[in-house]
Amino acid sequence: MSSSTQPAAPAAPVVPAFAAHDVVVSYDRRPVVRGVSFEIAPGETVAVMGPNGSGKSTLTRALLGLVPLTSGRVSICGTPLRRFRDWARIGYVPQRLSVGGGVPATVREVVASGRINRRRRFRPASARDRAAVSDALAAVGLLDRADDSVYGLSGGQQQRVLIARALAGEPDIFVMDEPMAGVDAANQQALARTLEALSQRGATVLLVLHELGPLQPLIGRALTLDNGTLVGDGAPHSPEGDCAAPGHDHVHPHADADRRPSALPVVEVPRSA
Amino acid sequence: MPEILQLDFMVRALVASALVGLTAPVIGVFLVQRRLALLGDGIGHVALTGVGLGFLTGNSPVLTALVVSALGAVLIELVRTHTRTSGDLALALLFYGGIAGGVFLTGLAPGVNSADLTSFLFGSVSTVSEEDVLVVALLAAAVLAVMGYFGRELFVLCQDEEVARAHGLPVRLLSTVIAVVAAVTVVLAMRVVGVLLVSALMVVPVAAAQQLARSFRATVCLSVLLGVLAALTGLSTAFYTDTAPGAAIVLVAIAVFVAAAGGGILLRGRRSRITPEEVSPPAVGTISGTDPGSVSS
Repeated sequence: MSSSTQPAAPAAPVVPAFAAHDVVVSYDRRPVVRGVSFEIAPGETVAVMGPNGSGKSTLTRALLGLVPLTSGRVSICGTPLRRFRDWARIGYVPQRLSVGGGVPATVREVVASGRINRRRRFRPASARDRAAVSDALAAVGLLDRADDSVYGLSGGQQQRVLIARALAGEPDIFVMDEPMAGVDAANQQALARTLEALSQRGATVLLVLHELGPLQPLIGRALTLDNGTLVGDGAPHSPEGDCAAPGHDHVHPHADADRRPSALPVVEVPRSA
Repeated sequence: MPEILQLDFMVRALVASALVGLTAPVIGVFLVQRRLALLGDGIGHVALTGVGLGFLTGNSPVLTALVVSALGAVLIELVRTHTRTSGDLALALLFYGGIAGGVFLTGLAPGVNSADLTSFLFGSVSTVSEEDVLVVALLAAAVLAVMGYFGRELFVLCQDEEVARAHGLPVRLLSTVIAVVAAVTVVLAMRVVGVLLVSALMVVPVAAAQQLARSFRATVCLSVLLGVLAALTGLSTAFYTDTAPGAAIVLVAIAVFVAAAGGGILLRGRRSRITPEEVSPPAVGTISGTDPGSVSS
């Protein structure tokens, strides 16, 4: 699936959704991502994992051109990042809702803004626009809050608004920066089902994750970063990603609990703002 | 017919101020959401240099103010995005430079007295000519047209600049559009409210509407309504008390804000009694007893 550099073979090569070649990203001349290369095939669901400060969020943002590359190359769907124009195919979910000046906006207004690349100028929302927004709201379970102000929602609900905004644009490539942070267990399960449905429809999903959690069955591949370098690329083996986490307890796998890492409760730690 | 409507200059001033009250909050709502509430103020000070340049060169001060403040707005945007100068420092430089330039150039101009400058600082009812009203109407139409054209993109940009870039929107162009439209609004409001207080009419009605509305659309509509109300009430007050219109308009706007803030507190109190806080999903930071379990950090 990574034969993009081969000359035209009888079987057409698969153009990767994302290709990163020797990507270096620096803040204030301090490299945060140090020479990372990988390709993500269309339809893959890939997690970018690693401890805090390992550069996983920065790498992901660099793939979309949100932070400048110090060196290296990125291409999206075979087009170099600089010349990529088909942004309607991309759905980006940032880490958190930015409050800005706090001008009110309803859940529906924010979610509908995700269709910016699908809407025609000066036209009212079409039936399809409205259906896409309602479907996106239903997928994250916020249809009943559609007319409430986003700033009145809990952190987890705001996270779901951001995911719905990306869904509303009907992209086929999703890039999500810690979509599960601050989302309670029941809604994590619901989001896992949403992502599974997207994946089955052939969407490419790239997620920055701190831990696999309920997404574990979906993630076929994990890119593991440590201190800005790629230290692992392959099937995720469950508890290892968490070993670096403080307070992690070594857990012996039990025969009957094959995919469940431990019997500890979910402890959700709210992020500092 | 009330006395105020029998005077031609007052009718002209009322028309101009209604247009200002209508236009200023439309751009203001995006400035507030982008945390650039003071940008209008910075541009207003720069516009004063443009007024001084107009006095000195014998051109229409409105025209020179338009050119100078549009250039100033682009400059602010460049300074904000391309240098390490923090936003408030860049604004401070503009505040001082703009006022100093305006006073200095006016001083150099022959036959211009301080009253002429004051009428641009705090607005002036009696000097609004028919031509001024026409210019204000044209500029207001231009501002509303541009905001209508870019509205959806600006909403995305002001919500989250990174998301706007991930949508492939021309972020730099849109930021410049906001700055230049703010500059045009400053100039169209200059004759009525004055350069020193023009930004208040962009920001204060929005701040008031923010207290009461839940949606973006309602915030825009309500802030326009409050803007027009404050402009007309303030101007009439200025007429009867023989004071500068800018001061009266802004004081009325602030009174509206105080009332809206009080109303907002009452409204939210009532809403939270009707719809009690979040019942179904457990809040962030709670431990779920039903989950199979995993440690997150």
